[in-house]
Amino acid sequence: MVLTWTVRIGIPDQNHRPPGHSRRAVLRAGALASVTAVTAPLAGCDLFDGSDERDRGPDPLAGLVTGALDLAARHEAAAAAFPDLAARLTPIAQAHRAHAAELARVIATPLPSGAPTVPAGGAETDDRATLAALRKAEQRGQEEATRLCVDAPASRAALVGSIAAARATHAEVLR
Amino acid sequence: MSEGLTAALAAEYAAIYAYGLIGVRLPRSSVADARAAEAAHRGRRDSLVVLLAQGGATPPAGAPSYALPFPVTDGPSALRLAVEVEDRTAAVWRAALPGTTGEQRAQALAGLTDCAVRATRWRRAAGVEPLTVAFPGRTA
Repeated sequence: MVLTWTVRIGIPDQNHRPPGHSRRAVLRAGALASVTAVTAPLAGCDLFDGSDERDRGPDPLAGLVTGALDLAARHEAAAAAFPDLAARLTPIAQAHRAHAAELARVIATPLPSGAPTVPAGGAETDDRATLAALRKAEQRGQEEATRLCVDAPASRAALVGSIAAARATHAEVLR
Repeated sequence: MSEGLTAALAAEYAAIYAYGLIGVRLPRSSVADARAAEAAHRGRRDSLVVLLAQGGATPPAGAPSYALPFPVTDGPSALRLAVEVEDRTAAVWRAALPGTTGEQRAQALAGLTDCAVRATRWRRAAGVEPLTVAFPGRTA
């Protein structure tokens, strides 16, 4: 037997799509729209505006996007304040930004633009305290991602699981 | 019962086998970490055997030996194999996530997370940078 494990991910992350957008469903919707246009013109665009995404409220992963951006901003601020830590913190900040970008793609929401908000009260006076505070933040982030992974649909489980695991590795690096 | 968990069991068998070879080549300073890692993999293996049996499946047995991706001849190659073993096992646990729910999902995620953290520790011991990857367990 060979120590090369084949890896198959059941449902790739990128295939996450809301259901009901099959070719047939679109055709059906189109046919319905033309009938509606003839018989009841006042229905107008409402047929499509009441999308179920809005009805369902915010995506359960929306908080994870802002959490990832918040963590990235913390690491960037700490790297700027303590240049000796930059080599350690910069790759972590980049990972959080990569997580945010991937999550935003999966939940089909644009990333919030503009300057990241550096959380107030995070101004530690020495590098040890800075590392300890960042480590705590990573652990909290790991807990949140772990919870969301367990509740996530199959199509999102691998992505959110990787984010939870990544945050655990960050906490390890900050030790 | 999840195919992914059966694959995870196969990966854990291979990891345990690999640590047997890694342990004897490692620098003394890393031997305790290797023992702890091997014990963790044995624990995961045992949990999976129970889980699969409870699901009505016959858990597959491990193979007597496994071909290594490269020969382990000294401390540095032992550390490199330890990184490799943890990265590969992390990938198998990650692949098990979509096919699980609830408590089994939580167990698969714990498997992924532990492997990712150990891979980071072994990278540090081996002097490999960067210590982390953005998406642990993702292979493509």
